[in-house]
Amino acid sequence: MLLEVRDLHVEFRTRDGIAKAVNGVSYAVDAGETLAVLGESGSGKSVTAQAVMGILDSPPGRITGGEVLFQGRDLLTLREDERRRIRGARMAMIFQDALSALNPVLTVGAQLGEMFVVHRGMSAKDARARAVELMDRVRIPAAAQRVRDYPHQFSGGMRQRIMIAMALALEPALIIADEPTTALDVTVQAQVMDLLAELQREYRMGLILITHDLGVVADVADRIAVMYAGRIVESAPVHDIYKAPAHPYTRGLLDSIPRLDQKGRQLYAIKGLPPNLMAIPPGCAFNPRCPMAQDVCRTDVPPLYEVAGDHGGERVSACHFWRECLRDRS
Amino acid sequence: MTGPEPILEVSGLLKHYPLTRGILFKKQVGAVKAVDGVDFTLARGETLGIVGESGCGKSTLARLLVNLEAPTAGSIRHRGEDITRLSGRALKAVRRNIQMVFQDPYTSLNPRMTVGDIIGEPYEIHPEAAPKGDRRRRVRELLDVVGLNPEYINRYPHQFSGGQRQRIGIARGLALRPEIIVADEPVSALDVSVQAQVINLLATLQAEFGLSYVFIAHDLSIVRHISDRVGVMYLGRIVETGRDAEIYDHPTHPYTQALLSAVPVPDPRAREHRERIILSGDVPSPTDIPSGCRFRTRCWKARERCTLEVPPLAVPEEFRLTTGPAAHDSACHFAEEKRVVPPEGPAASGDEPHTEPA
Repeated sequence: MLLEVRDLHVEFRTRDGIAKAVNGVSYAVDAGETLAVLGESGSGKSVTAQAVMGILDSPPGRITGGEVLFQGRDLLTLREDERRRIRGARMAMIFQDALSALNPVLTVGAQLGEMFVVHRGMSAKDARARAVELMDRVRIPAAAQRVRDYPHQFSGGMRQRIMIAMALALEPALIIADEPTTALDVTVQAQVMDLLAELQREYRMGLILITHDLGVVADVADRIAVMYAGRIVESAPVHDIYKAPAHPYTRGLLDSIPRLDQKGRQLYAIKGLPPNLMAIPPGCAFNPRCPMAQDVCRTDVPPLYEVAGDHGGERVSACHFWRECLRDRS
Repeated sequence: MTGPEPILEVSGLLKHYPLTRGILFKKQVGAVKAVDGVDFTLARGETLGIVGESGCGKSTLARLLVNLEAPTAGSIRHRGEDITRLSGRALKAVRRNIQMVFQDPYTSLNPRMTVGDIIGEPYEIHPEAAPKGDRRRRVRELLDVVGLNPEYINRYPHQFSGGQRQRIGIARGLALRPEIIVADEPVSALDVSVQAQVINLLATLQAEFGLSYVFIAHDLSIVRHISDRVGVMYLGRIVETGRDAEIYDHPTHPYTQALLSAVPVPDPRAREHRERIILSGDVPSPTDIPSGCRFRTRCWKARERCTLEVPPLAVPEEFRLTTGPAAHDSACHFAEEKRVVPPEGPAASGDEPHTEPA
């Protein structure tokens, strides 16, 4: 296994109390595999990724438990300088908003080249040449000239390509992409996702794709982990989950999106609101919004039940009534 | 066009923002052609969806429709009266009838006003709409209509979630009992599970109050769900328009086809079936719109004729004599029907990877 997160817990200390952002998340990604982490805002999907990358703002954030095993080593026990050698070189991250992730006063060539200067000790001239190669690789037209341009001179899609180039620079084993196409238009989104998938295949990288878009997930993922209130509520191979979700939250999400190929009258709407992380409901965190909730859901936190999947591979659901949930669909 | 009684007729609408150079002697060196010739009609009780990518001018169009901006040319007729030429009392009366719901529920509500004051503010501007003593009661009613607890009347916007704030924005839009609501990306800032609640609310309100909507969004799936007719915008102009099934199931304009094929479908089985049209490059700048067909720089079908002749928005010659769903307005010289969204979802086709066919 390339990366294995085990029982990760993250808290944020705020003026109003402790917000439990991540409450025992476990997931794993193998080389060449794409894991989609799906969740709404506040579900803890980005915080988990930040903890894995080692870029969590702390304080106020604090990792209170768990392990992050990367190529067999627990990253959480490493010193900061050891982590820095891994970050960027062996695992890299692509952010949602390329304009704020890039430095506006440096040329893109300088920012791409910096990777090679810092991690590989190259001269500025060699680094510049590598930067042009990379920009070519992500299909930026006229790379040799554009290497001297500043981020604001590129369009949104082009900036996201530069982010991808930067993440790929040192050929990492793992890429974490946090909402990489959310800010882009659909036609550009398709270009960027295609490029990312192609490069991932070529380098056999592990990819963690963090998103709220069920459509993007269906297009590229091998496995999905659905997060709610800082926990994984369901995790399964992609075909299983779309065919028959084993958690009412996943089912609600799938039913609540309008489809291009269907025109229904009324959309299914999950009632209520996502929980406040400072006061997560007892028992199953989803119980106040769940159409299937029983008394047991309000008292007992559901463990991750093993669900038999159609397509092999591990499948789990954190619902006391996963059997009923599955049966409703088939 | 369609519908018995058009409530809004837009023709030749243009909005150009001048680009000037020089400080003392300003001279116009060009223009951002944000809206560059838009025509449509809206019938009573109908929903017209406008889709397009960022920069296509859809938000400028929304602002023109509610008279927040004055057009460079063209007319917007509401019940036969051109609202772009009105001023004073007559304009105020029309504005009562055309209200707007904004995209961002965080910046479109004044954080220092209570919810009651926000929703009641339209009554301050149009006092004839409700007598003073009756306003609080009306605001409570409106809160109830949009699914919020009327007891929340004295709370402030920050005490609400994004979805609840959008409901407040909708309640404010409804306060004057308008005939038309222009909604500019009303759900794109919301979480998936909350989007459905707001879309359903908009549909319920339409049925209840007989509202007409102009629904502007970039999300094609949501637009299809809510719209009776759809207009696809590209660089300031509508390039294809028709009833929702005509546009989604029988698109004839290459831009619409590319747009539809790029939308991710939430079904992993669709991966293997779908043909993707990946457009090259980005949308050209609206200061420098290509000659002839404005889509030709990204179009795989472009030929010389496309550089020379502007294609009109009309039923293409090929389909003029037919009556099928492909016979709808499409601004393309080489219009061709092409189905890019699989019919009734790939599930209906019965085959699926990883399992043996029964």
